Amino acid sequence: MIWRKNKAWIVPLGILSLLFFLGGPGETAWGGNAQCLSCHQDKDLAKKDARGKKVSLYVSEDLFGKSVHAGISCTDCHTRILDDAHAGKGVKEADRKVDCGACHEMSEKLFKTSVHSLRAEIACKECHGHHYIKPLTDPRSVTYRTNLIQTCGACHPEESEQFGGSIHGVELSRGRPNQPTCTTCHGTHAIRAKSDPESPVHFRKVAITTCPQCHAAERIMREYRFTTQPVRSYYDSFHGLSYRGGDAFSANCASCHGVHDIRPSSDPKSMIHRDNLQQTCGTCHPRASENFAKGKIHSVASIKGEDFGEKVVGWVRVVYILLIVMVIGGLTFFNFMDWLRKTIDRKP
Amino acid sequence: MGKKYLRMTLNERIQHINLAINFTILVITGFALKYPEAFWVSPITDVPLGMTFRGFLHRLSGVATLTLGGYHLLYLAFTERGRQIVVDMIPGWKDAVDLWETLKNNLFINRPAKVLKMGRFNFREKLEYLGLIWGTIVMTVTGCILWFKEEWLLFFPLWTFEVARAIHFYEAVLATLTILVWHFYSVVFNPDVYPMSWAWINGNLTEHEMELEHGLELERIKAEEKGGSVHSNEGPKAGGGKVYPMQEGREKLSIKGIYGMVQNFNESIKNWKGM
Repeated sequence: MIWRKNKAWIVPLGILSLLFFLGGPGETAWGGNAQCLSCHQDKDLAKKDARGKKVSLYVSEDLFGKSVHAGISCTDCHTRILDDAHAGKGVKEADRKVDCGACHEMSEKLFKTSVHSLRAEIACKECHGHHYIKPLTDPRSVTYRTNLIQTCGACHPEESEQFGGSIHGVELSRGRPNQPTCTTCHGTHAIRAKSDPESPVHFRKVAITTCPQCHAAERIMREYRFTTQPVRSYYDSFHGLSYRGGDAFSANCASCHGVHDIRPSSDPKSMIHRDNLQQTCGTCHPRASENFAKGKIHSVASIKGEDFGEKVVGWVRVVYILLIVMVIGGLTFFNFMDWLRKTIDRKP
Repeated sequence: MGKKYLRMTLNERIQHINLAINFTILVITGFALKYPEAFWVSPITDVPLGMTFRGFLHRLSGVATLTLGGYHLLYLAFTERGRQIVVDMIPGWKDAVDLWETLKNNLFINRPAKVLKMGRFNFREKLEYLGLIWGTIVMTVTGCILWFKEEWLLFFPLWTFEVARAIHFYEAVLATLTILVWHFYSVVFNPDVYPMSWAWINGNLTEHEMELEHGLELERIKAEEKGGSVHSNEGPKAGGGKVYPMQEGREKLSIKGIYGMVQNFNESIKNWKGM
C-alpha cells in the first residue's frame, strides 16, 4: 500500500481542495448583491412603466436567498446594470430583459420554437417568475406539477378550469403521482400550436404518443387498476387502423373522450357516459341510433374474453385461422405434389 | 399448331379481366387498411386524403364486383352457353374421384399413373368457381354490414359488427391466398401451361391442353363433330346474339395477332429440348 506509506499525495489534494473552497463563490457573488439590495430592499421602491403603471422594484433578500438562484449575483442576470448610477440615468438602462438563455441554453433554444415565443409576447418570467424561482421539484414552485393549472390558467383560464374538473385534474389535485398536468401533453418549453405537426397535441400524435405514453404503460395502468386494452383495441379498430394510415377524419382518443375535459364514463358530464354516447358517436355518425352506441367499444377479440361478443369474435378468429391453414395448406400441398410430378415426368 | 378450342368467349374474357382488376384493387385497398404501416402502403398513406380515397376506392370496387356478379348471374340465366356452364359446373362424385386419383398419381401410388379424363370443368375449376361464389357472398354480406353500420346497428348489437369485421378480414385472407396458391398454379405455374395459359387473353386452349385437362370434353366435341352437329361451345345460338355480339368478326383483328406471336415464342421456349 504505497499510498499509505508515502503521504506526498496529500500536498496536491490539499492545494486542490483549497482552490475549490476559495475559488467557488467569488467576491462578485455576495458583495454585489449587498450593494443592489441596499436600495432594492426598500419595499416602497417603485418605478412607473411606459403606461404609467406603478411597478415595484422591491426584492426580498430572504426569499431570493431561498430561491434556486440564491448562489448567483444580481449582475449575473442583470448584465446591463453597470453601476449604481442606473437609477439616476433613467429607467431605460435597467429595463433590459434578462437573458436566461445565457445559462439555460437548451431551454432558450426550445422556447424560441414554441408558439409562446413565435406568436405571443411571453418571456421566461411569465411562467417561472423572476427573483424567487424555485426548483421544479419544490411544491411551492409555480412550475410544480400541481401548480401548473394556476400558472397556465393565468392566460388560459377556460382550459384550466375544464382540466381542473376532469379526472386528470381531480386526481392531480389529490397529489396522485404520474397524473398528467398541462405539460405532460403539451410539452414544456417547446409548446407548439395544435396545428403544428411537431406538436404532441397535433391530431397525428395524440393517439400515437401523447395518450399512450401513460395509457399504454403497463405499470401506470396497473396502479390505477386499468388495462392497456383500450389502446390496443383502438389500434386494431377501424378508427385506429385508418388513423394509423393518416386518415384525418378518423376518430382519435380525443374525438370521443374530449380534450381537457376528460371524465370517467361514470360521470354524467362525461362524453362517454351512457346517456351521452349517442351524441358523441353522432358527431361523426349523424344517423347513429340509440342501439349504435351500446356495447363494448374497446373490445379485444379473445376466446377467453369477458364480453360475449369478444368471445364470439375470438372463436370466429380461431375457426377461420384453422380453416385458412387447412385449406391453404391442403391446396399448397396438392399443387406442390402436382408440380413435382410434372417436373419429374418431364423429359429433359 | 394444332386445332384450337374456344374456352372463353370475348364476353367471358371481359368479365374475367373485370373481376381480376376489381379483385386486385379490393385486395390492395383492403389490406392497406389492416396493415397501414406496411412498406407497400406508403403510396396510399403518404398522399393527403390517401386513406379516405382508399376507402372510397374499396367501396367502389366492391360495388363493381357486385355489379359484375349480378351481370354474371344474368349471363348464366339468359344465354344458352351460360346455362350450359351452370350444368357443367355442378360438382359430382367424379370430381372427388378425379382429385383423389390425381393425388395418388402425383404421389406415385398409382403405378403407372392413371390417365384421367375430365369434363368441361375439371375439379380444379369447379372448386375455384364455387369458392369464388361463396367468397363473393360472404364478402358482400359482411362488407355491406361494415358499410351500412348505422342501419345494421339499428337492429343488431355491436358485437355482430365486430364479427362481420373479423369475417371480412379472414375471408379476404383466404380468398387472396386461394387465388395466389390455387388459381396462379392452375394458370401460371402449372408446368403444362407455364409461363401462362393464354385462354384469358385469346380465349383458346390448344388440343394438347384440352387433352391434359379436359379429356372427356375433347372426346365429346370430337364425337359431335363426327356426328355432324355444330359443337355447342362456339358462341351463342340462342339469345338473339344480344349478350355477346362482338364475338364474330372482331376476333379477327383482335389482340390475338400480337399475342399469337408471343405465344408462338413461348411455345418454342416450352418445347425447347436443349442443345
